[in-house]
Amino acid sequence: MKAGYRLFIGLSLFYFLVDVIYWQVGGEALGITALLLSGGLALLIGYYLWFTNKRLGSSLAEDNPQGDIADAAGELGFYSPHSWWPLPVALSMCAAGLGLLIGWWLTLIAVGALIISIFGFVLEYEKPSTSAH
Amino acid sequence: MTTYAERTVTPAGTRSVAKANKGRLFVKWITSTDHKTIGYLYLMTSFAWFLVAGVLALFLRAELARPGMQFFSNEQYNQIFTMHGTIMLLMFATPLFVGFANVIMPLQIGAADVAFPRLNMLSYWLYLFGGAMAFGGFLSPGGAASFGWTAYAPLANSQYSPGIGGDLWVIGLAISGIGTILGGVNFITTIFTMRAPGMTMFRMSIFSWNVLLTSILVLLAFPPLAAAFLGLESDRIFGSHIFDPANGGAMLWQHLFWFFGHPEVYILALPFFGIATEILPVFSRKPIFGYKGLIAATIAISALSVSVWAHHMFASGQVLLPFFSFMTFLIGVPTGVKFFNWIGTMWRGSVSFETPMLWVMGFLITFLMGGLTGIILASPPLDFAVSASYFVVAHFHYVLFGTVVFAMFAGFYFWWPKMTGHMLNERLGKIHFWTLFFGFHLTFLVQHWLGIKGFPRRYADYLATDGFTNLNTISTIGSGLLALSMIPFFINVWISRNSPKVTVDDPWGYGASLEWATSCPPPRHNFTSMPRIRSERPAFDLHYPHIKTEGH
Repeated sequence: MKAGYRLFIGLSLFYFLVDVIYWQVGGEALGITALLLSGGLALLIGYYLWFTNKRLGSSLAEDNPQGDIADAAGELGFYSPHSWWPLPVALSMCAAGLGLLIGWWLTLIAVGALIISIFGFVLEYEKPSTSAH
Repeated sequence: MTTYAERTVTPAGTRSVAKANKGRLFVKWITSTDHKTIGYLYLMTSFAWFLVAGVLALFLRAELARPGMQFFSNEQYNQIFTMHGTIMLLMFATPLFVGFANVIMPLQIGAADVAFPRLNMLSYWLYLFGGAMAFGGFLSPGGAASFGWTAYAPLANSQYSPGIGGDLWVIGLAISGIGTILGGVNFITTIFTMRAPGMTMFRMSIFSWNVLLTSILVLLAFPPLAAAFLGLESDRIFGSHIFDPANGGAMLWQHLFWFFGHPEVYILALPFFGIATEILPVFSRKPIFGYKGLIAATIAISALSVSVWAHHMFASGQVLLPFFSFMTFLIGVPTGVKFFNWIGTMWRGSVSFETPMLWVMGFLITFLMGGLTGIILASPPLDFAVSASYFVVAHFHYVLFGTVVFAMFAGFYFWWPKMTGHMLNERLGKIHFWTLFFGFHLTFLVQHWLGIKGFPRRYADYLATDGFTNLNTISTIGSGLLALSMIPFFINVWISRNSPKVTVDDPWGYGASLEWATSCPPPRHNFTSMPRIRSERPAFDLHYPHIKTEGH
C-alpha cells in the first residue's frame, strides 16, 4: 500500500510540475487543463491509498516481506460462482446507445431495462442479514 | 458464507462429457465470473478481430499493388483503412492486453480471482457488443465509418461524413471504451488489494507491474476519449458546435484525441514489454537484470507518455514544438534503459531459442527499428518532411506490430501449456515465426522508402509515373507472406489438442513467477497450495531451493 500511494502521489506531483512548465513556456489551454486534471485524478487515488494505508497499512500480510501464506488463512472473501447479470446490463447499455440512432422510444425502453438490470447486478447477492450467514 | 463454490479441479478426461452438454458449456461460458475464462474470451475475440483487420489490410495492399483502381472505390478504400486502424488498435490490441492481464496477472500475484469478477464479465460484454456495433457499419446503407481512425474534425461531422456508419462507429467505440475503463479499475484494485502474503509490490513480476501502470494509463487516457466521442456524437446528432472549426474545434478535437492517443500507444506497448520481460529470464536461465531499474523505467514511461501528445500534431503548426520534441526525446531514455536491461538479462546467460524466446527476439529487433524511426519523427524538421507519408505508416507498424503481435505470439507459445494443458509444436512454431518475420519486414521495410519518396498515407491510388510501383508491389507480396504465416499457427493450435497433457507445473523448467507454481491449467480459484514468497521469483525458489535469490 505504501508503494501504491507513493506511486500515485509521485505521478500527481509530476503532472503538476509538467503542467506548470507547459504553462510557463506557453502551452495552450486544453493541454494545461488536461494535465491539471490528470494530476488531480492521480492525487485523488493517491490520497485515498495514503489514508487507507494509515488506517490498516501495518496489518497487511501482502506488504510484510516476511509474510507467510498462512497469514491470510480464513475467509478470502466472497466470489460469485457465476452470474447472468452482466449480460443484460451490457445489452441494455448498447440498446440505449443504438436508440440515439434509431429513435428515442428505444433509448427510453433501454434506459428502463438498464436501471432494472443494474439493480439486479448490484443486489444479486444482497440477502436479509439474518439468512445470509 | 461458503466462498469456494466451484473449487474442484476439472479432470482432463471431461471433454467428451462437455461435448455432450454443449448448451451447458455455452451457458457456463457466458455466465462465467472466472478471470481465466473471461481472459480466454478476451484473447479469442481479440484474435478474431486481428484476423478480420488483417484481411482488411490485405484488401488495402491488393488495391495498392499496381497503379489504378482495381478492386474498390475511393470511398470503400477509406472505409477499409478506417476500420483496419480502428479494429487493430481498439478491438484487437487493447482487449488483448485485457485478455493477457486477466489470465496471467491474478496467477502471478497469487490471487484467487480479480477484485470484481462480475464487473470483469460486464467489461467483456461491453467490448464485444461495442466492437460489433462499430464494425456493423459495413452493413448499413452508407457503409462503415470512413474518416480515418483519428476521426479528425470537421471531416467526421455529419456534413462531411453523413451516414449511420459513422454514428455506429462513435457509439460502439464509446461503449467499448467504458468496458476498457472498468477493466483498468479492476486490475488496479486487484493488484493493490489481492496480493498473496509476502508478495510485496517490489516482488511482483514485471508483467504485473506493467499491467498496473497500463491500467493507470487507461484511467488517464480513456475518459478524454469518451468525452471527445460524446461531443462528436452530439455534433452529429443534435447539431451542436463543439468541434466546429469556426470555434477552434478542429484543434480541440486533435488535442483531445491525442491526449488519449499517445498514452494509448503505451497502453499497447507496456503489457507486451511485460510479456517479453517474463520470457527472457526463463530462456536465459538468469534472473532479470536490474529488476528495480526496469520498474523505474516503466514508471517513467507512463509518467512521460501523458506529456508528449502533441508530437502527433507537429504539422498543424499550432503546437509548442520545442516542448513536445524535448519530451518525446526524453521518453526514449527509459525505453533505452529497458533495452539495456533485456540485453543484460541475456548477457552471459545460458540462452536457448525455444519458440517463445524466438518471438521475443523478433520483438526486440522489430521494436528497436520502430524506436529508431521514432527518434527521427520526434524531431520537427524531419517530421515535417515525412509527416502523413508511408514513412509514418512504416514507423508505427514497426512499433505496434513489433510489440503487440510478436509479443502476443511469444505469450501464446509461452503460456499455451498454462492455459490449455498442452504444448504447442516447436517446429511449426519456428516455421510460423520465420514466415511471419520475413513477411512483416518485406511488407513494411520498403514502406520507409516509399514514404521518403513522397507516397502519402491513406491514398487509394498513384500514377505509374510516380515511381511507387515496384516498392508497393514488393510490400503487397510481403503482406501475402505475412498472411500465409498464420496457417502453421492454426495447424499448430489444431494438433496441440491431441498432444500429451502437461503434467508438471512448469514445463519450461526455469519459470520464475507464481503461475508456474500451480497446475496446467490452474484450478477454479488458481492454487491448491502456494509456496512461500521471499523474492520476485517464488516459483523458481520453490523448484530450486538450493539457489538463493532472496535479497536480490
